[in-house]
Amino acid sequence: MKNLKLTERLGLVSYRNQSKSEIKPHIVVDTDVCNSTCPHKCTTWVCPANCYTMDDNDQVHFQVEDCIECGTCMYACDQGAVDWNFPDPEIGRGVTWNFG
Amino acid sequence: MDEKFDCIVIGGGVAGLAAAMTLARNNMKFLLIERGEFAGSKNVSGGVLWGSDLAKLVPNYWEEEDGGWERFINHRRLTLMDEQSAFTIDFKSSHFNETPYTGVVVLRSKFDNWLSGKVQEAIDASDYAMDSFIATNIKVDEVIMENDKAVGIRTGEDEFHADSVIIAEGVNNLLTRQVGLQDKYVPADHMLTGIKEIIRFDQEVLEQKFQLNGLSGMSNEFVGSATDGVEGGGFLYTNRDTISLGLVLSIKDMREKKKSPHDVLNHFKTHPAIADIIKDGEVVEYSAHVVSSGDSRVMPKELYKDGILLAGESANLLMNAGKAIQGMDYAMRSGILAAETIVKAKEKGDFSSATLKEYRSAMDQSYVMKDINGFQDAVHLLHTETMQQKVPNLLCDFGRQFFTIKNEPTPKSKDMLKGAVKRHASFWELAKLGFKAGKSL
Ligand SMILES: Cc1cc2nc3c(=O)[nH]c(=O)nc-3n(C[C@H](O)[C@H](O)[C@H](O)COP(=O)(O)OP(=O)(O)OC[C@H]3O[C@@H](n4cnc5c(N)ncnc54)[C@H](O)[C@@H]3O)c2cc1C
Ligand code: SF4
Ligand code: SF4
Repeated sequence: MKNLKLTERLGLVSYRNQSKSEIKPHIVVDTDVCNSTCPHKCTTWVCPANCYTMDDNDQVHFQVEDCIECGTCMYACDQGAVDWNFPDPEIGRGVTWNFG
Repeated sequence: MDEKFDCIVIGGGVAGLAAAMTLARNNMKFLLIERGEFAGSKNVSGGVLWGSDLAKLVPNYWEEEDGGWERFINHRRLTLMDEQSAFTIDFKSSHFNETPYTGVVVLRSKFDNWLSGKVQEAIDASDYAMDSFIATNIKVDEVIMENDKAVGIRTGEDEFHADSVIIAEGVNNLLTRQVGLQDKYVPADHMLTGIKEIIRFDQEVLEQKFQLNGLSGMSNEFVGSATDGVEGGGFLYTNRDTISLGLVLSIKDMREKKKSPHDVLNHFKTHPAIADIIKDGEVVEYSAHVVSSGDSRVMPKELYKDGILLAGESANLLMNAGKAIQGMDYAMRSGILAAETIVKAKEKGDFSSATLKEYRSAMDQSYVMKDINGFQDAVHLLHTETMQQKVPNLLCDFGRQFFTIKNEPTPKSKDMLKGAVKRHASFWELAKLGFKAGKSL
């Protein structure tokens, strides 16, 4: 079996409130911390949905749309940059697992 | 709903549903709140629900044509891997065919939803058929505290009041932190990321592949190169027409070794032993969820305070000493015991910690805390380099020699073993390991 790319894997996920163009982000990342004092920037590789990315200038960016609510970044970030919450059922993103 | 409840249960996972079922059976007036679209919609496990507590909640559940579970386990495997080989301990027994089963594989989105239907039936049969509720699509934002005692919950602008609150919110325990039972920041040290794929096969093909008969099922745990050098382990469980294949990986170790969980999963899937199993399957879901390690150092200081009880993984109740992950059965038992304590508290008319501390003693006397306390050394041992790499490498090396037949004189097995030990560890290390394992298991 061919391994799926991460984008193909995330394509299998049922996200909530897809029809809403504006959603309330459930995780807020203070990227000033990421891009100034963080010594490792580990969330750019430990997040299983690749929500944290590094651009060509080594700047960290965060997007919440693909988040699968696993919780990993809440523990992995030891720099206090991640304000983590559960998505709002009505106006947030987040997942509904089909199997779980 | 403005009247006061006896209890508000936060979370419709295994712990919350077990608590709710127990409350309903004891004619308590309660509200269970779940943030997902339905109970189970947010939850991920491997997962085998071990033990037979399910039969206490839903007697004769196995008689139901399409109950919430997938298969019962009568075949267990533990595989130690190096990069190319797999050395497996394999045990199958018809003893495990007898009901109540001692392990059933579940898919949470289906299982929790089914169990929540059973809880609703119990509510309907109780004195509070019109006054107890399961409410979904609602996220609890805060446990309302008055004089350091829980008096209810807040969600958005709305408040609901109760004599007691059972927090069964799972491992990402924000409310447990809010009420001060857990630190505000929990470091990565003893936490793992669980990552998993559901892979579908034609049901007959699956049954032949794993020698399944009717609804029998197989569980397989993996140690060694399954995790590509990251502390943790792998699992494969058979569902009706899919398998659950995944890993649990130390977050701290991934941070330090610069490994991504999805890359490690790819590595696991390309191991020859796994690749051959999954080759004609189709991935139908990819998921991930944090899971506790079973290390008691990460557990909350206490399981109760005035008006509050913690059940399930919100208290990091979990055991993983290599042969199985036990989180759901701990969640179930703690949910039952928490609800029983609330029933007693109502009889006494006292929901303060003076009564609620009985939950702590009930838990301490149960297998949950006895195992957590009794197997800490085994949990630590599993996370050592010796167990994670040296032993799997050594056994695979020995296995390769032992099972190789050449047209030349065969060395004695004990010499093969000696050679394998020398290449991957030392006798001294193994003697220490044997001693530790002997003590800790
Ligand atoms: C990959 C993986 C494999 C695993 N394998 C196994 C296994 O094989 N066997 C096993 O026994 N265990 C296994 N576990 C562990 C097991 O899944 C957990 O221990 C178990 O789910 C804990 O149950 P719980 O009810 O305490 O929490 P959860 O199942 O997490 O349920 C918590 C519930 O609370 C809800 N909630 C949370 N916060 C709020 C809020 N503020 N408001 C409203 N609702 C809220 C959530 O939506 C959720 O439904 C595994 C875990 C993972 C990640
Ligand atoms: S670990 Fe924290 S501070 Fe560092 S990049 Fe990630 S989110 Fe930013
Ligand atoms: S919760 Fe998980 S999926 Fe979401 S951003 Fe954090 S690590 Fe990524």
